[in-house]
Amino acid sequence: MKEFDIISTRAHRIDTPDKATGQAVFTDDITRPGMLYGALLQSPHAHARILSIDTSKAKALAGVKSVITHEQAGHIKYGVSPARYDETVFAIDKVRYIGDEIAAVAAVTLEIALAAVELIEVEYEILPAVFTLEEALKEGAPQLHETSPGNLCAEVHQEFGDVAAALKECDIIKTSTMKNKRQDGAFIEMQGCIAEFDNRGVLTLVSSTQVPHYVQRTVAMVLGMDVGMVRVKKPYVGAGFGIKAAANPMELACCILARETRKPVKMNFTRKQVFMYARARHQFSHTITTGAKKDGTLMAIKHECWLDGGAYTSFGIATVYYTGSLLGGPYKIANMSYDGYRVYNNKPTCGAQRGHGAVIARALFEQQVDMIAEEIGMDPMELRIKNMMDTGDTTCNDLNMSSFGMSECIEAVRKGSDWDKKKGNMPTGKGIGMACGFFVSGAGYPIYRSDTYHGTVIVKLTEDGGTALVYTASAEIGQGSDTAFAMIAAEALGIPLDHVRLASGDTDMGVDLGAYSSRQTLMTGHATKDAADHAKAQVLEVLAEQLSVPLKELDIKNGFITFAGDTPDFSALRTRYIKEHRGWIDNPDSEHLTFKEASRIAFLEKGSIVGTGKYKPHNLGGKFKGAAVGTSPAYGCSAQVAEVTVDMETGQVTIDSITDAHDCGKAINLTSVEGQMEGSVSMGIGEAMHEEVIFNDKGQVLNADLAEYKIVTSMDMPRIKAIVVESDEPNGPYGAKEVGEGAIMPTIPAILNAVYNAAGVRINELPLTPERVYFAIQDYKDRMAK
Amino acid sequence: MLLPMFEFHEPLSIEEALELKKKLGQNARILAGGTDLLVHLKKKLVKTDNLISLSRIKALSLITEQKDSIFIGACATMAQISRSPVIAKKFTALKSGCDNLGNHLIRNRATIGGNACNASPAGDTLPALLIYDSVALLESYGKKREIPIADFFTGPGKSCIQPDEILTGFRLPIPTDHSGAHYIQLGKRKSSEINVVNVASFLEYDPGTKKVITTRIALGSVAATPIRAARAEAALLGQAPEEASFFAAAEMARREDCRPIDDFRGTAGYRQAMVGVLTKRTLATAYERAKGA
Ligand SMILES: Cc1cc2nc3c(=O)[nH]c(=O)nc-3n(C[C@H](O)[C@H](O)[C@H](O)COP(=O)(O)OP(=O)(O)OC[C@H]3O[C@@H](n4cnc5c(N)ncnc54)[C@H](O)[C@@H]3O)c2cc1C
Repeated sequence: MKEFDIISTRAHRIDTPDKATGQAVFTDDITRPGMLYGALLQSPHAHARILSIDTSKAKALAGVKSVITHEQAGHIKYGVSPARYDETVFAIDKVRYIGDEIAAVAAVTLEIALAAVELIEVEYEILPAVFTLEEALKEGAPQLHETSPGNLCAEVHQEFGDVAAALKECDIIKTSTMKNKRQDGAFIEMQGCIAEFDNRGVLTLVSSTQVPHYVQRTVAMVLGMDVGMVRVKKPYVGAGFGIKAAANPMELACCILARETRKPVKMNFTRKQVFMYARARHQFSHTITTGAKKDGTLMAIKHECWLDGGAYTSFGIATVYYTGSLLGGPYKIANMSYDGYRVYNNKPTCGAQRGHGAVIARALFEQQVDMIAEEIGMDPMELRIKNMMDTGDTTCNDLNMSSFGMSECIEAVRKGSDWDKKKGNMPTGKGIGMACGFFVSGAGYPIYRSDTYHGTVIVKLTEDGGTALVYTASAEIGQGSDTAFAMIAAEALGIPLDHVRLASGDTDMGVDLGAYSSRQTLMTGHATKDAADHAKAQVLEVLAEQLSVPLKELDIKNGFITFAGDTPDFSALRTRYIKEHRGWIDNPDSEHLTFKEASRIAFLEKGSIVGTGKYKPHNLGGKFKGAAVGTSPAYGCSAQVAEVTVDMETGQVTIDSITDAHDCGKAINLTSVEGQMEGSVSMGIGEAMHEEVIFNDKGQVLNADLAEYKIVTSMDMPRIKAIVVESDEPNGPYGAKEVGEGAIMPTIPAILNAVYNAAGVRINELPLTPERVYFAIQDYKDRMAK
Repeated sequence: MLLPMFEFHEPLSIEEALELKKKLGQNARILAGGTDLLVHLKKKLVKTDNLISLSRIKALSLITEQKDSIFIGACATMAQISRSPVIAKKFTALKSGCDNLGNHLIRNRATIGGNACNASPAGDTLPALLIYDSVALLESYGKKREIPIADFFTGPGKSCIQPDEILTGFRLPIPTDHSGAHYIQLGKRKSSEINVVNVASFLEYDPGTKKVITTRIALGSVAATPIRAARAEAALLGQAPEEASFFAAAEMARREDCRPIDDFRGTAGYRQAMVGVLTKRTLATAYERAKGA
């Protein structure tokens, strides 16, 4: 493999000093002169017709500057996928969940804005509501959207190969079901934004978002503005996990309030509003049948899934496709069918969250792989390796694994966890289990149909020479992407990381689809490398000419110019450089020509040196309906081993350790890769063990705060052994691919398999609360007693 | 969610606080660590125009050892109680309750008085207060009274404390030799958790006869208030301290003493089953400690 100077190290993150000292600026840290505060009126009813809205009392309150409803906001529909735009900024004729936005107020203080919201009078006609799949699907059930009869938001039917025929040839067939619970992303920074128009009519929206680009387009569309007149900027963001991957109604309301008042307006979600807005992982109800030969060959998967979608589509159409498309891999399975249904109901809307669509299907399927292994008496690792895809393989639904270190990951966790010694030798109450998973390194296509580049980057060298400025519209949301791109730029330019400055998250800097689908390292990384290569080539061209050296003999390494042949006499260039710095004490005196000198000379010859870079994937995927969803230029993959202790009397499960191996291609920054692996595991543990959004029978969230919605605490986190497995991904920049989401895939099934190993029970509903595990154990004991 | 407006009072002595309480009556709330009250104010579950903070009254946060009892001031925090050597040595179940309440940040602010006055059936220090036979010390302007802890709680969020009264602290008799206690709380995760069930047990045995001569068992989260498990205690009294009798007492606690309900944290059925498990386990550990004492 190639040798690198910057990438594949543990370079310190470039945002660490700001974050460690509290100087990092997040949206809510920002105030603008004359800024107003906005607040939303949200529906207290899950389903109701709006008979009238009277804003007169609110408008009359001293300090109130604007009160807006659908009359000011307009009736333009928006959403995530253009095929499924089903939301308006404010409800027009009816509200569909508790939290549906009805109006907004801007006032000189937040207190006044909140008081004004209370003064808005809405007359409702309460409509019967539906809260579950079953209720929503019942004949004669109340309907949410006129355009979607039967409350069916979307359905998908796919078959690859011949599942029925393949199942006939199977010796072992396992059918089981699994259900998770609605999740909340539980990011630390709640959504917030500030909108402001300048005197020329340019709108700047500062927002806590993962996707400045999509927000820019949605704002422009809904407000009827040119995209060029809308600028979206993202300061530091306290994570998103998929929930912030689309424009939200508060951002739109904020922009409209700014337009109405011609003042900067700030709005924030409270934690309760984060829960009401939702857009996190769906509740999935899966039934999967897996067939295998008695030698362990996996033959076919029959998969059905029902998604509890909530009131609107959001990402749902993509979700329901992803749920099917990302199941079969990482195994060689020739036959797979999928029937997916997403159902509307009067709860908040679900969307995308880390491991989009695929996490619970994986959790069920990886248990079935274990059941099959158990039945034929094969080690679960062996069975997986036997069926594992190899580099270059393509799944039955046309996903190509251009690099695939899955078997290496399994071997790594086998050794790392001491599997061979432990498996089968654990006392009752202690268990060990494993699972695999894979995930896209960026969606193969944008959310709206387009030929657009997925990322563009500009690298500009400072005119004095020596420093590279990287401009990207990508979104650093805590995952470390700024650092990764600075490292890639430094590597490509051949200069130390300290000499790279980077600015990101601003739509004025170019196009970047943002931080979702684990896309940035591969896609923005490519564009960054491309831009840096371009800038470097311009410097070297000037040098080649000035020194009369063939271009191909020149290179830059560690901040110095290198020559493949003899070093030519560059004293004239050095003299020219030094002359311009008379009186400076740090002029170059090394034997080697520095990058600083070279880039200065290049500027003197050509003006500002600006490199531009771009990236879009090659054409990916098959021709069938929905073939685009699940495609990616590359796939990351991982294996995990979980060790657990189950208290057989109380049902409490303690996760003792997780051994996690992930193939991320070339690791740009090893520490960041491990960070993503550990973060994924913690989110997976939370979902497996205690997280669930709980509703009452009126459709109201009962645990809309982080005291009652239980993410893992540091006390719940086991020791994690993170093993980075590197492969060389041909479609990735320097061979890099994803780690952000794929690493969550094996966590839940590894835990479930370990719990089975410890306690003898398979639990088909999450989370594994002590109570659920206790009753499963009781039930098992009763069955054994009979 | 913003805090509503209120007048903030910071008396420097108990007398001054009692005067304020008398003057403002129903329209004032006592503020200790604020970890319950401020949340309730934000959620608009409580309304008041005045907050009387006790944080400047030094006497209220003392922990002092007397001849056969200790005094714990109402404003002693969880962190402070946990660090106290006498509590670590002689009141292990209370220390354990303090150590398991909330998280570090909360434990630095949350007070034992606040935990008691908040009167949650799930309160983490309350089973321990019950099994150590604590006495609540109440004061109003010109008047003092003492209430045995078993009579203190009157319902969820309710205690016998009167609007003009302040809880100044608790008196806990120092446990005798050959006694031990233990506390276990069970929740969905390992920290920052509201209990699904919590149980504390105390027992004292006679080393001569090898019989249990005193026992107090307290159950949390399974009734409207934290309760004593009277039938379980009666079943264990006079028995040999061994697994079979602990199990019998636990069965009594599970079947007869607790009255749990279903809520979103857990079902009554599970809570009831766990009363059995935790009672048995706390008794066994209490006995281990008693033997070591
Ligand atoms: C994140 C979080 C986690 C938590 N976890 C737990 C937990 O695990 N276990 C648990 O038991 N609790 C928990 N709590 C609740 C709370 O921290 C405790 O009940 C705490 O002991 C309350 O004490 P305080 O000093 O903060 O009371 P405050 O909030 O100041 O007061 C609580 C109530 O008692 C009254 N009061 C306080 N002191 C007196 C006094 N001396 N005289 C008269 N009235 C008084 C107040 O007027 C108020 O009504 C948690 C709270 C939070 C926010």
